[in-house]
Amino acid sequence: MKKTTHSCFLLIILLIRMVPSLSSTVNYTDPTLEPVATENSVIRQKIIDSQFKCYERMNRAPPYKKKGLFCNRTWDGWLCWDDTPAGRITAQNCPDYFPDFDPTERASKYCDETGNWFRHPESNRTWSNYTLCNSFTSEKLKMAFILYYMAIVGHALSITSLLTSLAIFFYFKSLSCQRITLHKNLFFSYVLNSMFTIAHLIAVVPNPGLVKRDPVSCKVLQFFHQYMLGCNYFWMLCEGIYLHTLIVVAVFAEEQRLHWYYLLGWGFPLVPASIHAVARARYFNDNCWMSVDTHLLYIVHGPVMAALLVNFFFLLNIVRVLVTKLRDTHRAESNMYMKAVRATLILVPLLGIQFVIIPWRPENRLAGEIYDYIMHILMHYQGLLVATIFCFFNGEVQGALKRQWTQYKTQWGQRRREHCSTRSTSYTATSITEVPVYLYHHDSNNEQLNGRYVEDSELVALKSGETSA
Amino acid sequence: AHHFIAATACQEADYSWMIRHYCLKQFQLSMEGIGQQLWCDWDETVGTYGELTNCTALIAERLDCYWPNRLVDEFFVAVHKQYFRNCSPSGRALHDPPNSILCPFILLPVLVTLLMTALVVWRSKRSEGIV
Repeated sequence: MKKTTHSCFLLIILLIRMVPSLSSTVNYTDPTLEPVATENSVIRQKIIDSQFKCYERMNRAPPYKKKGLFCNRTWDGWLCWDDTPAGRITAQNCPDYFPDFDPTERASKYCDETGNWFRHPESNRTWSNYTLCNSFTSEKLKMAFILYYMAIVGHALSITSLLTSLAIFFYFKSLSCQRITLHKNLFFSYVLNSMFTIAHLIAVVPNPGLVKRDPVSCKVLQFFHQYMLGCNYFWMLCEGIYLHTLIVVAVFAEEQRLHWYYLLGWGFPLVPASIHAVARARYFNDNCWMSVDTHLLYIVHGPVMAALLVNFFFLLNIVRVLVTKLRDTHRAESNMYMKAVRATLILVPLLGIQFVIIPWRPENRLAGEIYDYIMHILMHYQGLLVATIFCFFNGEVQGALKRQWTQYKTQWGQRRREHCSTRSTSYTATSITEVPVYLYHHDSNNEQLNGRYVEDSELVALKSGETSA
Repeated sequence: AHHFIAATACQEADYSWMIRHYCLKQFQLSMEGIGQQLWCDWDETVGTYGELTNCTALIAERLDCYWPNRLVDEFFVAVHKQYFRNCSPSGRALHDPPNSILCPFILLPVLVTLLMTALVVWRSKRSEGIV
């Protein structure tokens, strides 16, 4: 998450910096100190700061030990350069002093074969190449705007779809069971997360004045943001643990007590969020805690990744049990349970893949852009994905919606009045062979039993088979 | 612009002398005024340091030298050796705490997460009565 938000927020910070009021007045090809104007004093301050750090570093670093000619360490007015062997080009990230300098681009300096720094042929002075720092800025600005609006749209869509799903779950009482309760909590945490993210993107990110003032409220917002992020992933973990307990540990467990799940889903994420807040306040107290250049973010992202990993292993274990133990004897049931697990099994890798591919942002410009778009979609459209997979693609939900629709049609039309009576007779016929309703049906015409356990000869055989295995 | 450069080349010895006798003197007076205890306090010394930098740049402009240059590097290295040697390095910018502090901060929540997960699995296993 770190580097993703790195590229994400760097582009957004690039966006902040493109505020037209701060125009750059410096000639980029050779750094000189301009006369102090009020707007430039902040910039000068940063440069003096870097200069101080550079000379400190030049003092403390050990002298050059390798053989051969080299160029001496130097301060070129903007960046610090170490001792470099002759004939080599050295590079580092561009500074962030000016609004249109992109800190993800590279500035370079050439040490020639005679052990002297490269001199610009026109002015005959030592010269570092900062041309890449501001050459692509306008395109990057455009893309930053696109990604920014994409993020806001993603979260808005997520909130809409999640609220719709929650409405469906609350309205159709026939659907409710323990798994659906867990879904409701998961969706609720996603809604809150999206709301906090939108608040952050709209109120804090485009507002450099607020960031400069650094009120406590924006740090509190960030705290809740991290808390909600934890809630999202820990509720996914709760879903996985629930399925695991249901299928592997005790097949057909009667109602589990959900208190521990609530504790893990809502209560526990306070722990990493609080530790992060304390560590950030103590060691890396930047304005509004917006910086993503710190490893302290792993205080929250580490447990999240651990939760995803544990979840993934639970799901693999479930699949293993379903495939090995139930495959030979009860193919039908095993298929049915597989359908239940399938949704979660699709979601967990999708949510987790962003953590895996973060470190590998491609260097190539076009590939990097595609990477950014994909990461943004994975990050900001998660709520929509979860709502779709857990609710809209759910056979039960689709069945309930269809029934409701036909009910409206019979209320307002005079057709199909007999459909209700045929349905009630098929209820008794089909309910006996159905498996417990916490799992999904592919046949949507069946009436649902409200979480009641259906005793069945095959199921009894399954249980005894489980205990003797 | 070639003829300008040929006519008024940068006199290194002059430059060196001038920054030591004008800029450094001013800096010394200011720093003594601040007091040795506060030399490592960046908020106190930033103004003086900035003036020193400005001074070296202005003299470079007068003598038609480009700024910064090798002499400026040597000059500032000497200034740092004299005035800022005992200050904690890079204490100005925000940076991560050392690994000995960072690692426990990160590992503790991860371990607590795993413990909590195990606890929930164990409790949910025990809470059901069947099997």
